[in-house]
Amino acid sequence: MKMKKVLSLLLVAAMSFSLVACGNNEDEGKKDSNATSENPTENTEETAPVELTEDADQYYNTYMASDPTSLDVSLRSDSYSSTIISNVMEGLIRLEEIDGRYVVSAGDAQTWEANEAGTVWTFHLGDNKWSDGEAVTADQYVYSLQRSANPETGCPNSFFLETLKNYSAISKGEMEISELGVKALDGKTLEITLEKPHPAFLEMCNGSIYYPQRQDIIEANGDQYGSEADKTIYNGPYVLESWTHNSKLVLKKNPNYWNAENVKMETVNISILADTATVENSYKSGDLDMLGVSSQEAKMAFHADDSSKYEYSVNSSVTFNFYNTKDVLFKNAKIRKAFSLAIDHEDINEMCFGGLRVPVWGWVAPNISVGETNFREASGEILLNQYQELIESGKTAKDLLLEGMAEEGLGDDPSTLDVTLSLAGTNDWFKTYGEYLQEVYSTELGVTLKIDFSDWGIFSSNLQSGDYQMGYMSWGAYYNDPYDVLSVFNSEYDQVGTGWVNEEFNTLIKEAGSEMDEQVRLEKFKQAEKLLFDEAVVCPLAAGTSHSFYKDYVYGYSTLSFSSNGYKDMYTKGRK
Amino acid sequence: MKKYIFKRCLYMVFTLFIVITITFFLMKAVPGDPLTKMAKNLPEQTKANFYAKYDLDKPVFNQYIKYMGNLVHLDLGESVVYAGRSISETISTTSLVSASVGSIALVIGMTIGIVLGIVAALKKNRWPDYIVMIIAILGITIPVFVLASLFQYVFAVKMNVLPASGWGEARHFVLPIIVLGFGPIATYSRYLKSSMLDTLDQDYILTARAKGLSERKIISKHVLKNSIIPVVTIFASSVVGIFTGAFIIERMFSIPGIGFYFIDSVNNNDYTMILGTTIFYAALFIVMQLLVDIVYVIIDPRIKSSIMK
Repeated sequence: MKMKKVLSLLLVAAMSFSLVACGNNEDEGKKDSNATSENPTENTEETAPVELTEDADQYYNTYMASDPTSLDVSLRSDSYSSTIISNVMEGLIRLEEIDGRYVVSAGDAQTWEANEAGTVWTFHLGDNKWSDGEAVTADQYVYSLQRSANPETGCPNSFFLETLKNYSAISKGEMEISELGVKALDGKTLEITLEKPHPAFLEMCNGSIYYPQRQDIIEANGDQYGSEADKTIYNGPYVLESWTHNSKLVLKKNPNYWNAENVKMETVNISILADTATVENSYKSGDLDMLGVSSQEAKMAFHADDSSKYEYSVNSSVTFNFYNTKDVLFKNAKIRKAFSLAIDHEDINEMCFGGLRVPVWGWVAPNISVGETNFREASGEILLNQYQELIESGKTAKDLLLEGMAEEGLGDDPSTLDVTLSLAGTNDWFKTYGEYLQEVYSTELGVTLKIDFSDWGIFSSNLQSGDYQMGYMSWGAYYNDPYDVLSVFNSEYDQVGTGWVNEEFNTLIKEAGSEMDEQVRLEKFKQAEKLLFDEAVVCPLAAGTSHSFYKDYVYGYSTLSFSSNGYKDMYTKGRK
Repeated sequence: MKKYIFKRCLYMVFTLFIVITITFFLMKAVPGDPLTKMAKNLPEQTKANFYAKYDLDKPVFNQYIKYMGNLVHLDLGESVVYAGRSISETISTTSLVSASVGSIALVIGMTIGIVLGIVAALKKNRWPDYIVMIIAILGITIPVFVLASLFQYVFAVKMNVLPASGWGEARHFVLPIIVLGFGPIATYSRYLKSSMLDTLDQDYILTARAKGLSERKIISKHVLKNSIIPVVTIFASSVVGIFTGAFIIERMFSIPGIGFYFIDSVNNNDYTMILGTTIFYAALFIVMQLLVDIVYVIIDPRIKSSIMK
């Protein structure tokens, strides 16, 4: 009898707990705010009501999901390290977003020019100083690039220096480091010589591997340089005041920065928050001034919050299916095409990506351009066009598959095919994705798809040994040029591991990579991409997007994915 | 006694040696390496340069010999993923952080748990017993991340009296300790209750009652001391658990503890960190076992005499 009473009391307690969780939505909207209207696609400052002035105390609380691995530009450049590095250090130039467009702005270098052939770049440095007062000189750039190219340093991103003269030989230890195509003509003049003209070279200088380094500080700290705040030196808009690994980083404005008078944000507090629930709770409690969401529920919940501004941008990572062109089944282009055209991109975006991403029908991400021309707009939606052609010719994807099977002598029954999709993860998302494709291929093609789930390490070594049939991966661009993502399929590199070899493609890419004329380059890239799809080597699905919310008192954040404005142009107005 | 401890220490070193060796070769046998996590499919030369820097291009056995050689000098090396971070320094700093939160939570949780356990045993089958058992079951079954999220929501979002996460000030300790404390409360109350009930049934308690000792004296002088013995056993694993099980709490409250490196190093194939954390945990566990055995000898005379023989 007693147990029954206790049980019912317990039930009441449990139910009231769950109600607590449900009841929060109404409260958000009632929060008092003097925010102006949101404009989700504009990134420049809102016109705030006249009575608001910039806060006296300029600080910004933000977060990142993982601790930066190292601030030594010769050793690491993961996205977390790069975010910090681009704020506490400065390179020759800084790729900024101004009025919604990319602008190559002055950094350590105030002016620069290239020779006629586009093979020699000369940079004229300004008066920037390091945080200890020492001047930034051309020698420091020479030292930095030589250090990264030096095989003994073991730099995992040294291939970024491929454009520099003699890099290949130096990285193999066949030539002296001093032969690298970088020279200090005097204290403030830096001359960089390239192997071949590279039209996007200036934009590549935005990468952290092209930043300067201080030999004296590095030698004083040895292996530990870049691992702690007090063991690193800074020449950027901010200095790293403190770094508690896996917990918090604090950035403070650098008074020695050449452009310090235009840096509004004084302090940036970056917490390392890996857990989604914690991030959301921190944002709601006011501990964070911004957050990124990756689920429809969260997105809807914060849209309803009056005191948050929504920001959306497409980034350069594309998720895609790819085929092993050496496989007994997928060596046939028609079969590959059939598997690609069987997928409905809008549907897969809804079902597998929560409707949050942007479907893409071409390989080059939607945010990449050649000069002023957006590549995707110029090249069109290739897969969509292929699908239209197929329909107009009265065929279905299955017909295409049967044609391919006939060519390979594989009979006429798709259900007899042995097809396995390799996935590089074992969590729920991958299971859903695998099941979705099984459903699609069973309905559209009559194929029974098998799935192989494995960890990234095993998946990666399978790709390298060609031990797979069909795989799924994402690829992100490092800089704003089609060469970056198309050269991946040059058979000399074959970075995805499809085994595809097409000499015409290789030639087109090589030529376009050093073609200075924009129109000619654009045409060559377009032709190359078309080749990629004629042979149906990959099936791109969606481009990554970032959905963020900022508190209404935060201004000046940039949204273009390649830009490195960082925190310096941000400010708060009307923080309560 | 001294000989016994000395023998145990020798066994400890030997066990540790076996653990390190097995971990080393198992870890190298798993496909993937630190580079695959860092970037996709790098050019051959870049990879070769990277491997050469960390001696990953040498035969596995040579790497093993080199590692063991360094180990004798207590040099655990540098992290492969987090460039420049010394393993021993990272482990010592972060384990202290984990220990500071975990030990406070353990002490508070254990004390409350023991008190509740005593109450439950003495008032068996009456309402205090039921309340305590319900608390215990809730404490064991409710997942830690649910509790953490709930507390964050109530205290940080709704009431805004405590920070949702972070580290560095006294107020950052409060929520993690409350959440971490539930486990020990649940565990110790249950163990102590069943242990006490066992003890209360023993013959010597009957004798004590027959002799006319007061109930209070019986409990405090005879029952408690004997009931504590199983609690000492689980205390050993609780101490080790401070460092391992708190991984989720540390992640949710952004506490720079050692749990992160324990899990992360395996995912990223950070060889030196994997070995460093494994050595740390193995050594800790082995030492705790030895300490527990010594405590047994002190508490329980029956064990002392059997060892002496």
